[in-house]
Amino acid sequence: MAQEEPTLPDDEDDKRLMALVAEGDDDALRLLVNRHHARLVGYLRGEVGSQATAEELAMEVFIRLHRAASRWRPEAKLSTYLIHIAHNLVLNEWRRRGRKPTTALEFAAEPGDSTQQSARRVAELDEAFQRAIAQLPPEQRTAILLVVQQELPYEDIAEIMGVPVSSVKTWIHRARSRLRELLKDFYGNE
Amino acid sequence: MDNPNHNAFDQELAASLSRGRTVAVPGFSGRVVEAVRADRRRRIVIRWSSVATAAAACLVAVLTLSAPSEEALNRQTLALVARDESAQLADLLGAADDLSLLSPAVEKPSVVEVLNAPGS
Repeated sequence: MAQEEPTLPDDEDDKRLMALVAEGDDDALRLLVNRHHARLVGYLRGEVGSQATAEELAMEVFIRLHRAASRWRPEAKLSTYLIHIAHNLVLNEWRRRGRKPTTALEFAAEPGDSTQQSARRVAELDEAFQRAIAQLPPEQRTAILLVVQQELPYEDIAEIMGVPVSSVKTWIHRARSRLRELLKDFYGNE
Repeated sequence: MDNPNHNAFDQELAASLSRGRTVAVPGFSGRVVEAVRADRRRRIVIRWSSVATAAAACLVAVLTLSAPSEEALNRQTLALVARDESAQLADLLGAADDLSLLSPAVEKPSVVEVLNAPGS
C-alpha cells in the first residue's frame, strides 16, 4: 500500500496556535478545531460507527487538548497527538459500553459524478467494507483505519497505540486477511 | 506474483476508507469553544471549593490544636500571677488584712481610769 505523506496542517502553525490556546485564547482554539476536527471525526466514526458518538468523542478530545495545552511539548505532530487522545477515548468508550462495536456503521456514500449504477456499487461496497471493519478485533480495526484511512506511518501508529511497530504490522496483515475473508463475495476466493 | 483480486481489494479498501477520512461538521468549532468555556468555569469552581474546604479544615485544626487544656490553663494562670508584682502586693495586703482580723482585741481605757492615772 502506498504510504504517501498526507497533506497535514502546518506544524509550525499548530505550535503557535497551541501556545495561544495555553494562554486562554479561544480564537486560537477555534482555528485549531477548524484545522483538525474533520479528520478526527472521520477517524472516530470509523472506530465507533456512529456520527453522534464520534462528534461527542471529538469534542472531548479538544477539551482534553485545551486542559493539557500548557503542558504540551511539541515533540510529536499535533495531529498524531490528537489521534492518540482519541484512541484512548475509544478504548474507554468500549470499556464503558462493555462491548465492542460490531454493528454496521451509519455510512452514507457520496457518489460524486458517478452514474447511478456505479454510485449504487460504491454505496454497496462502502457499506460492506464498513460492516467488515466493524467486525475486526479492536486493535486490528484501529491499525487498519490509521494506516489506510488516516495514512499514518507505522511508527506513528505504534506510538499512538503504545505498541512496537512489529505488532502494528502484524495487526494490519491480519486485518487485511480477515477483511478479504469477510468480503469474499465481492472479490472471490484467493 | 500479485493476485489481481488482492490489488482490486486493496484499491477499493483504500478508496472506501478514504471517503470517510474527513467528516467536516458545520459549527463544530463553536460548540467546542462553548464546551471548553463551560469546562473552564467548572474547574474554577472546583478549585475554589477545594481551596475553601482546605482553608476551613486548617482553621478548625488550628483552633482545636491551639486550645489549652485545663491543667495548662491553671499553670499559665499561676505563672502569670507569679510574674505580676501588683498581684503579689495585693496578696501581701490581703495577708495583712487577715492578720489584723486575727490580732487580739485591746480594750480601750475608760475615762475614770484616764483621770485617775498618776500625773493626770
